[in-house]
Amino acid sequence: MQQLLNGLFIGSIYALFAIGFTLVFGILDRLNLAHPAVFAASAFVGIELVESAGMSIWVAIPLVFVFGALLGLVIERVAFRPLKGRPDAHFAGLISSIALAGMVIALLQWRYGPDTRRFPIGAFPDVRLEVAGAQVTLLQVVILAVSVALMVALTYLVTRSRLGRGMRAIAENPTAARVLGVNVDRVTATTFSISSALGAVAGVLFAMNVNSAQLGMGTAIELKGLAVIIVGGMGSLPGALIGGLALGLAEVFAVQYIGSSWRDVIAFGLLFLILLLRPQGLLGARRVREV
Amino acid sequence: MADPILVVEDLKVGYGRVEAVHGVSFRAERGSLVTLVGANGAGKSSVINAVSGMLRPKGGRVTFDGRDITGVPSHRLVKQGLAQVPEGRQILATLTIEENLQLGGWHAGGTAQPVIDAMYERFPVLAERRALPAGSLSGGEQQMLAIARALVAKPTLLLMDEPSMGLAPKIVDEVFRVIEEIRVAGTTVVLVEQNARRALRAADHCYVLQTGEIVHAGPAAELLADERVVQAYLGVDPGPRRSGQPPDLARDDETTAG
Amino acid sequence: MLSDYSATITFIALGAIFAYSFYAVLVAGQLSLGQAGFASVAAFTSASLAPDPDQLGAVPTLLVAIVIGMAVGALAAALLGLPTMRLRGVFLAIATLAFAEAVRILLLNQEWSGGAQGMSVPKIVNPGLAWLALAVVAYWFWRQGPSRYGRALRAIREDELAARAMGIDVARHRLSAFVAAGAVAGLYGVLWAFFVRLIAPEDFGFSAAIDGLVTAVVGGSTMFLGPLLGSAFLTMVPEVQRALGVEAGWIRPFLASLLLLVVILFLPGGLASFLPHRLRVPTATGDDVASDHSGLQPRRHPAKGEPVAHLVGLGKEYGGVHAVRDVDLEIRSGEVVGLIGPNGAGKTTLVNMISGLVRPSSGRATVLGVTVGDTAVHKVAAAGVSRTFQHSKLFARLSALENVLVGGHLVSRPTFLRRLLWLSSARRDEQEALEHAARCLRRVGLLQLASSRASALSYGDQRRLEIARALASDPTLLILDEPAAGMNHVEAAALSSLIRSLAEDGLTILFIEHNVRMVLETCHRIVVLDFGQVIATGTPDEIAANSLVVEAYLGSEEEDPGDDEGGSIAAGTLPDPTGGGAGISGRS
Repeated sequence: MQQLLNGLFIGSIYALFAIGFTLVFGILDRLNLAHPAVFAASAFVGIELVESAGMSIWVAIPLVFVFGALLGLVIERVAFRPLKGRPDAHFAGLISSIALAGMVIALLQWRYGPDTRRFPIGAFPDVRLEVAGAQVTLLQVVILAVSVALMVALTYLVTRSRLGRGMRAIAENPTAARVLGVNVDRVTATTFSISSALGAVAGVLFAMNVNSAQLGMGTAIELKGLAVIIVGGMGSLPGALIGGLALGLAEVFAVQYIGSSWRDVIAFGLLFLILLLRPQGLLGARRVREV
Repeated sequence: MADPILVVEDLKVGYGRVEAVHGVSFRAERGSLVTLVGANGAGKSSVINAVSGMLRPKGGRVTFDGRDITGVPSHRLVKQGLAQVPEGRQILATLTIEENLQLGGWHAGGTAQPVIDAMYERFPVLAERRALPAGSLSGGEQQMLAIARALVAKPTLLLMDEPSMGLAPKIVDEVFRVIEEIRVAGTTVVLVEQNARRALRAADHCYVLQTGEIVHAGPAAELLADERVVQAYLGVDPGPRRSGQPPDLARDDETTAG
Repeated sequence: MLSDYSATITFIALGAIFAYSFYAVLVAGQLSLGQAGFASVAAFTSASLAPDPDQLGAVPTLLVAIVIGMAVGALAAALLGLPTMRLRGVFLAIATLAFAEAVRILLLNQEWSGGAQGMSVPKIVNPGLAWLALAVVAYWFWRQGPSRYGRALRAIREDELAARAMGIDVARHRLSAFVAAGAVAGLYGVLWAFFVRLIAPEDFGFSAAIDGLVTAVVGGSTMFLGPLLGSAFLTMVPEVQRALGVEAGWIRPFLASLLLLVVILFLPGGLASFLPHRLRVPTATGDDVASDHSGLQPRRHPAKGEPVAHLVGLGKEYGGVHAVRDVDLEIRSGEVVGLIGPNGAGKTTLVNMISGLVRPSSGRATVLGVTVGDTAVHKVAAAGVSRTFQHSKLFARLSALENVLVGGHLVSRPTFLRRLLWLSSARRDEQEALEHAARCLRRVGLLQLASSRASALSYGDQRRLEIARALASDPTLLILDEPAAGMNHVEAAALSSLIRSLAEDGLTILFIEHNVRMVLETCHRIVVLDFGQVIATGTPDEIAANSLVVEAYLGSEEEDPGDDEGGSIAAGTLPDPTGGGAGISGRS
């Protein structure tokens, strides 16, 4: 049971991260490889807010959300908007977002140094609860709650709101959306912003969960995030959610039964299998792009 | 006489190095139905898309309701009362009918509901299926949806690009009835059509496009009776004027000699 | 001091070799990020299997290791490439990246590779050997570029579908590019191993993969010197930095990333685009009829009047909408057949089925002995079908001449391997191919623009270039999709006489056009389509007099009677035969 809960906690973070990824891919057909850099950056920023500004972690989370949102606007403006209309836009978008990610990580190194950073002692409340015979901390419960809350809010936004309608219209047919008067540029920027905000919260929650932030954490989660969205289906929000949770659970159980060194291979094994057998993913409806 | 709601002067539209439209001029009087006819490839869609802000023209000027709207992007124009029913309908198939209609009122925020309800009254089939995905509609029903969707924007000028395409004749009749209703209600309609005779029967005024230029113009009734339109359409040389300057069409309603 | 430079120089060479492994696939338009994995496997395998240099001597040991490493790298690439052949773009990148990571983890956990500690390897490589290896690799790609194979790869990169239609077996070409990348990555892995003395799986991880990609992109993949330029440039950055006294560890990655961003946004061709790119133009003007054309592979054509295409009940539906319905058609050798009909009538869909691009939903079509629908596009092309497209699908970054050369893929001989050996027979064959291409250009009146980039041509010239390219494969059946689009009367008349003269030379021509006058003047026979069905066939005179045809285009003369009967669509009381299927925009 303990393992199950641990798997859910880490899985919900994976899901939150992956949802940001798949939001941009589903709506805008762009893979934003700067997303993992946002994940890492927000972890460091979160720690700094708590450490230097003396904030409580509960305040830091919404601030990091805002930080991520702003970073998302920058990413869209710098790495993707200039490529609009270019015939190699997909390829170039990958490269430009990789480049931007590299710049972000380098800046993190400049500001925070190459070492692992941790939250100051006493930042986390020392409350433990017992759920069905397993021990959980209040922090873990909050992580789960925040992740779920954000995902629910996003789903609501996409399915019920005016903005969500605009996003779905653009996802299906950007020309039709434009002719109806949707401001495609503005909705695109907003989508990136939301996506990065979610990734940022995922980052700070992850850092809280393991009480550390390292420069390489973005790279480590990048492939897992890609595995989740491909297995769940590119562009499918429920797919990212289920995929994330499944990965979290699978990892925890794999470590228990097979050994920690093989943990990461699970993700790749699944990834490969899905790509070969069903490239659109388990829940994905999008046609896999031909050429 | 009130000034025309739409004036297009010397419009040039191109794609990369290619110029598809070489200096087209026409106008639409308020409350009239103007039609642009011509064979495929003549440039009709390019003209419409340049007027509606989907394409940026390479030259010329577009004036809407007294304002210069040349090069203004479409999302701003919808707000100002200019809507387009695009070629091929461009229905958002995975969204519901209700959502498609709501998107028609995107710029208006939440205040479009009364107009949407009016559309449900006019097109009961949409009301019946409002929660179903739009892709489940037949071709004719989708055309109705595309028109209703554009009307939700409460346009004073409606641009329609080949509404009859791919539809059976009986349904085309109904589409044109709807267009007539729209016109009677006060909206100016600029209609692009390949089905020239149908368009000419419905329109007040007509311009014939051929390889990016206007080669004939005049009251629709006159052109309907004029065999030269047929000839221009089927690619036969429309006459000696071809080698000289393009006709001065912006000034009067009479067909220039050719 | 000298040893510092020695290491730097070696790293430039090694970095360039690694970048070449990316170049090998980027040339074909594939983004594979698995090269680090190939290098890793090759490095460890060769390091453990190589003989003792004390026994065999340093250089022979290295050679053995290289052979092992390249073989392993190529094999790994083949194993990865085969299942991922169908993947494109982002999906291929992710799959290959995952592969590289999986290799890293696997090696991390193996006994024989030394786990995380790594494996120690004798140092054999010095700057001379590294640059020698680099020279060999660069030579390979230099010779590849202008060969038929290299051109085919570039064509695939520009427009895969058009390449297929020219008869290029895309899957085989992509796989071979992949395997080449694997072999080059393997070479890099071996050289690296025998230079740095200690190899660990971490050396070939994610950041190494990205570094290699960055080098390839910054250097540019449009020209064979690209990777070398990229590696030299990027290796110099920390040297310059050190010379300026800037020590901070974050600056180098920051600058490298910034450079990558700047390059991809503003200089997509990389540093190599600064180099002048000389396009070869043939010295022959293309009218030496006396030459025996032995460099070209001849094609057999059916005699005049023999059936070329036979369609029975052919149909295509998309989710309930019939784009083409029940079409019977027979085309005989030497005919010029025109296909006309209003917008949305199904003309392009019909032609797509005949040329093998689209599989029919019903009926059967046999073209030049091949059943289309079951046959790959490039095989249909090999049977003798060639075509142009409604929306120009030229190879944009290639010159007009190169476009036509690709068009001649099926009739020219492969020259790459012979080029490596500088055999004169290769040069002769290429000259033949060039002259053939020049003749095709001259036929459409574009010879003077042979060295212009295809994307720089005017619209009318682009249309004509497409025709020249389609002619280059010496086809039996030539299909033209709206060749006169955008042409004025003079140009259309010239096109009409070109088509007539091609028919006189024995070609069978099927073309879609909206310029009905031109069709009436050019064709032996005309087929009229409306709503996906044939509504009339006949000679030009018959069709011109056919009122159904006029009606289909212009609408009927009479008002439809009885408007009130039968209900309305809006009320949902009128049955509508046209099915769903959103966004049928402009398909004819």
